[in-house]
Amino acid sequence: MAATVTSIAPRRAAGTPRTPLPPPRRPFRDNPRLILAGIAVLVVVLAAILTVANRTPRLSPDFLTEFVLYALSAADFTILIVFVWLLVRNIVKLVVERRHGLPFARFRSKLVALLLAMTLVPAVLVLIVGSELIRTSVDRWFNAPMDEVLASANQIAADYYHERQVQVRDHATRIARELAPIDLTAGDVRPIRDRVAPDVNLQRVQMVEVYRVEPTAGSLQPLQPVVDIAAPALPPGYGRAAADRLAAQALTAPADAHSIEALGDSGDLLHAAAIIRGKDGRPKGVVVATDYLTGDLAARSRRMTRAFEDYNQLKVLKRPLTGVYLSFFLMVTLLILFGATWMGSYLAKRITRPVQMLSAAAREIGAGRLDQRVEPQSADEFGALVDAFNTMAGELATSRRRVERSTIELERKHVEVEGRRRYIETILERITTGVVSVDAAGAVTTINSAAARLLSLSRSVVGQPVHTVFDRADLQPLAMLLVAAAGARPESAVHEVSILREGQEVHLAAVATALVGDTGAPEGAVLVLDDVTPLIRAQKVAAWREVARRLAHEIKNPLTPIQLSAERLRKHFAGGSAQALVDECTTTIVGEVESLKGLVDEFSQFARMPAPRTVPTDLAQLVADTLALYNGIFRDVQIERRFAEGAPLVRLDAEQIRRVIINLVDNAIEAMERRGRIVVETQRDPANGLVRIVVADDGPGIPAAEREKLFLPYYSTKRRGSGLGLAIVRRIIAEHGGTIDVGDNTPRGTRFTIELPC
Amino acid sequence: MKICALLPVGALLVASMLGCIVRAAEPDLTVTPLARDGQVLVSFELSDGFTSEMREAIQSGLPTTFSYQVELRRATPVFDRTVASITITASVHFDNLTRRYQMSKSVDGRVEDAQPTEDLEAVRRWMTVFKSVPLSRTTALEPNAEYYVRVRAHTRPKTTWSIWPWDARAILGLAKFTFIP
Repeated sequence: MAATVTSIAPRRAAGTPRTPLPPPRRPFRDNPRLILAGIAVLVVVLAAILTVANRTPRLSPDFLTEFVLYALSAADFTILIVFVWLLVRNIVKLVVERRHGLPFARFRSKLVALLLAMTLVPAVLVLIVGSELIRTSVDRWFNAPMDEVLASANQIAADYYHERQVQVRDHATRIARELAPIDLTAGDVRPIRDRVAPDVNLQRVQMVEVYRVEPTAGSLQPLQPVVDIAAPALPPGYGRAAADRLAAQALTAPADAHSIEALGDSGDLLHAAAIIRGKDGRPKGVVVATDYLTGDLAARSRRMTRAFEDYNQLKVLKRPLTGVYLSFFLMVTLLILFGATWMGSYLAKRITRPVQMLSAAAREIGAGRLDQRVEPQSADEFGALVDAFNTMAGELATSRRRVERSTIELERKHVEVEGRRRYIETILERITTGVVSVDAAGAVTTINSAAARLLSLSRSVVGQPVHTVFDRADLQPLAMLLVAAAGARPESAVHEVSILREGQEVHLAAVATALVGDTGAPEGAVLVLDDVTPLIRAQKVAAWREVARRLAHEIKNPLTPIQLSAERLRKHFAGGSAQALVDECTTTIVGEVESLKGLVDEFSQFARMPAPRTVPTDLAQLVADTLALYNGIFRDVQIERRFAEGAPLVRLDAEQIRRVIINLVDNAIEAMERRGRIVVETQRDPANGLVRIVVADDGPGIPAAEREKLFLPYYSTKRRGSGLGLAIVRRIIAEHGGTIDVGDNTPRGTRFTIELPC
Repeated sequence: MKICALLPVGALLVASMLGCIVRAAEPDLTVTPLARDGQVLVSFELSDGFTSEMREAIQSGLPTTFSYQVELRRATPVFDRTVASITITASVHFDNLTRRYQMSKSVDGRVEDAQPTEDLEAVRRWMTVFKSVPLSRTTALEPNAEYYVRVRAHTRPKTTWSIWPWDARAILGLAKFTFIP
């Protein structure tokens, strides 16, 4: 069994398992010194009880019945109450522990019940049998032979005393009768002495005292000693006080005029008084005769009487004495029961508590609190078990700390990866480059918003096979690229792919790259798409600008000599027969030359268009001012203005934008054949940092196939026109960092949308 | 072991204890107060108080004492007020050698009287009969007020025993009177 029980406490030291706090010791149960002291006190109490019990017959009856008995009863009831309380408390605790399912509660209950039964039953049986034994033993103290012996002894002693006293009384009476004729008042006391002395000398009595009754009334001392004769055998130290009192008593109560004067170890004096009466019968004196019983005789008589009295007193006090012994016995039994109960509970706890502590600590560790320890305080098997448990807990704690460190490291890496992923995802979502990735199985794993927008795909295609996603005819080349890249061909080349998006041709630069894992195994492919349509457009515009510049340069130079030559021909042939023909021809030449000059000027202007000088401008005001130019000009054309409120100032070249608006509105009017409704609208797009200018008409519209050509130089659907208007418009918008698109208007017509950054 | 199994044992134990209980016959204490000559005099007699157990105790030579606490009290609605009280103790000691009883009587600890006798009846009267014991002066009483005299008698030594010793051992006697000057 473990000698000590430890409790669990968390360890708090940094870096090492936390040091256990001192367990909350129970002041008595866990302190062997106190236990030993308690046992010593119990032994002393029992010894004191035995001592008092042994001395019980010698105690005074009052002390015995008024103090000892009450004290014992009070102690018994106190111990009984404490015992019952302890018993009930332990039982209730055990019941509660069992109901709560505490570990080892059932075992503890059985242990306590067993120990209780082992002590309670024998103790109760011993109490019953012992009580009956005490009662019968006390009864047996007083038996008939002892009664008779002691009574007889006392009778002998008392009779002897009585006989001697009768003799003394007879002598006193005789002497009083003999002294009756003698004058006690005479001064000569020799007659009295002569009469009394023989009794003393012959040892009929040991002492005779003669008193005279004073005739004077009112005397303080009615009796006066006359003669006092004592035998030499009388012990020293006797006095006349007893004889004086007896003489005085004889005058009032002559029948009881005898007494015994105890002289201690010297013996007893038996006094008897008799009245000396005169001839008239009146008392004239008193004789006190005294006999002497030697010390040995008196002592023997006293011892016999004392034995008789002690016996009878014990008999009288038989019941209280029985009560005292029963109380003693009950107290010892209760103390044994109390000690046994307490010891049973204590032993049960001593046995189960270390295991309970281990169980509780195991539960704590099972709950994740690995810093729990059980403090070992014994070197026995339980101590070894506790050591092994603590070692296991320490190793568990170390392992857990390693796991926690690894987890923290993993979490940190995960956070980093997640951040990187979010970073890449954000980039992928923000960039205009489309990215599509597929796994080794050919399923789409990611598609960013740019790719979805460029390819007109939904982002819900993630997880679908490539062939399903790219099943459109214009997307087949991309599917082939991805399949080829997934075929573990890491070399990638840029492919230009044209697709149709909302009826417009979009040029994409597509690069498919194989994804290869650390082991070299193919893990899929990634397709990167760039919308190169603006680039191609810019290249085309640049080419056209170069063409226009050269054309203007090459054409404009010969036009002036042609024009001058035509005018000279007209002057030379003026008034001639061929004047009409000449005028007609020259007029035609000059007119066409002028027309060519105008065309060349436009080309020149297109080629040499200056860079925009942007300043913060109120776009709505600019549009409104521009549209005001059309007021009252076209009666059948309705221009509706829809301006967004709160639009911010936009950095732009007002003159160039005005030209853009005029160009678009002119084109719309021309397209509607100067009859219809034009909506000019400004919109805000704070989310994308854009403002939009929309010019929509309800004219016949533009076929989708021709929309892209609209912005090419020298393309026009009008009968007259250089075909540079929309090309210039696109260039202006492009140089402002914006875009222009054309689409169908609802329900009919054409809709131009300009987006400018703000 | 079930508790039920212990019940017969406990009952046997209690019965064994109760078997030791011996209750004496109930004595009667007759109290007679009398206001005369400026004093409240009390006479009382303890009938059946001189039991055989007491006689045996006296005959055994045990000093035996009858103690009487005599109180003159005024009844009030809440707490009764003690006007006067005295304690009378009558003791006797029998000498089995000389066969004489030595009696003494004390009031409030002062020995008032002492006598020897050889007559047990005289001892009984000495111990149980008290005539015209002065208790208080009538000047301490209110005219026409109700009073009562309560006498509580104790005997020693105790010759009985019970498992519950705190029984009402005191013998109580009480007499009411109205003081009419």
